[in-house]
Amino acid sequence: MSRSDVLVGADWVEAHGSDPGVVLVEVDEDTSAYDKGHIRNAVKIDWKTDLQDPVRRDFVDRVGFEALLSARGIGNDDTVVLYGGNNNWFAAYAYWYFKLYGHQNVKLLDGGRKKWELESRELVTDVPKRAATSYSASEQDASIRAFRDEVVSAIGQRNLVDVRSPDEFAGRLLAPAHLPQEQAQRGGHIPTAKNVPWSKAAEEDGSFKTDDALRALYGDEAGVDFGKDTIAYCRIGERSAHTWFVLHELLGQPNVKNYDGSWTEYGSLVGVPIAVGDAS
Amino acid sequence: MTAAAADGCGAPAGGAPVTAATDPGTQAVVQGRVTQNGSPVPVGYARLLDSGGEFVAEVPLGADGGFRFFAAPGSWTLRVLAPGGIRAEHQVSADTGKVTELVVAV
Repeated sequence: MSRSDVLVGADWVEAHGSDPGVVLVEVDEDTSAYDKGHIRNAVKIDWKTDLQDPVRRDFVDRVGFEALLSARGIGNDDTVVLYGGNNNWFAAYAYWYFKLYGHQNVKLLDGGRKKWELESRELVTDVPKRAATSYSASEQDASIRAFRDEVVSAIGQRNLVDVRSPDEFAGRLLAPAHLPQEQAQRGGHIPTAKNVPWSKAAEEDGSFKTDDALRALYGDEAGVDFGKDTIAYCRIGERSAHTWFVLHELLGQPNVKNYDGSWTEYGSLVGVPIAVGDAS
Repeated sequence: MTAAAADGCGAPAGGAPVTAATDPGTQAVVQGRVTQNGSPVPVGYARLLDSGGEFVAEVPLGADGGFRFFAAPGSWTLRVLAPGGIRAEHQVSADTGKVTELVVAV
């Protein structure tokens, strides 16, 4: 796995975004952004209504994922290029999700919607018509998804990377600063977790930092031991999907899991240890 | 508080400002608009940096150039990025139960 296998640039998308076998997909935190304008021929996936189970706290199941991709006109052999706002936050989450269900050929547009917009590239409102497919998904790949018991047993054993902001890590905030702070669970972080805010992996224009800069960020600066397995978490598992992408897809770390239950689950569990205060 | 903002990670659309009818309650709200020659800047991003200069959050500007953050009390830097290499920065302090309003001219 190398950077060129998992990232494409804006020039590539302008040249190949409409090629047969290529499907552009916008996945945005602001789910109305697509409707205001999107990259030509891009379809939209809503991270919440399309990817989350409407009743249980879980993802849509395999059958639901198959139905979604079939309806969007995405085939098993298509190259899916995901992009979105906020440093590709939700696009990276969708990337992890596509991998979870076994889609082979998926990439991110480096810099996502923000870099594209800041470069004043074309956005259109035409919604493409794609013929429905019969998409066939795999069972979930358990090697990239962590659940709570595994996380508790990983304390002091594996790398735990808390990718939230320092204020959330310390317990002063319970959500990112652009969201209301009305969560009821305890604040803090999982003991022994290192705090590497997800956004540090991105340049200001939303593109990913170089591999060398990323290795220095997680390894030398934060103390992540690249010889150990790693679990990343945040609040609801989306920012940590971005970090999973960095560690697993860009840096090629072999055993990295995303804990999508994240702090909203962990911080509400009875009896588990919690640490508060800033990173040392 | 909008339903979309309250139950997940979804930002309010376009970082839309709190309206007069919204009670900031226990929130420390920083919001405002970005303008150029008096007109709204509808395409761009507002970033919130903490007192150490570290990135904390970012929202796309709304059609009216608006943005909104729910911060912690304290000092923050607001940075605006817009097409054409436009950048602007403002220092701002946030207080619990207050809406701090900014107009950022670029």
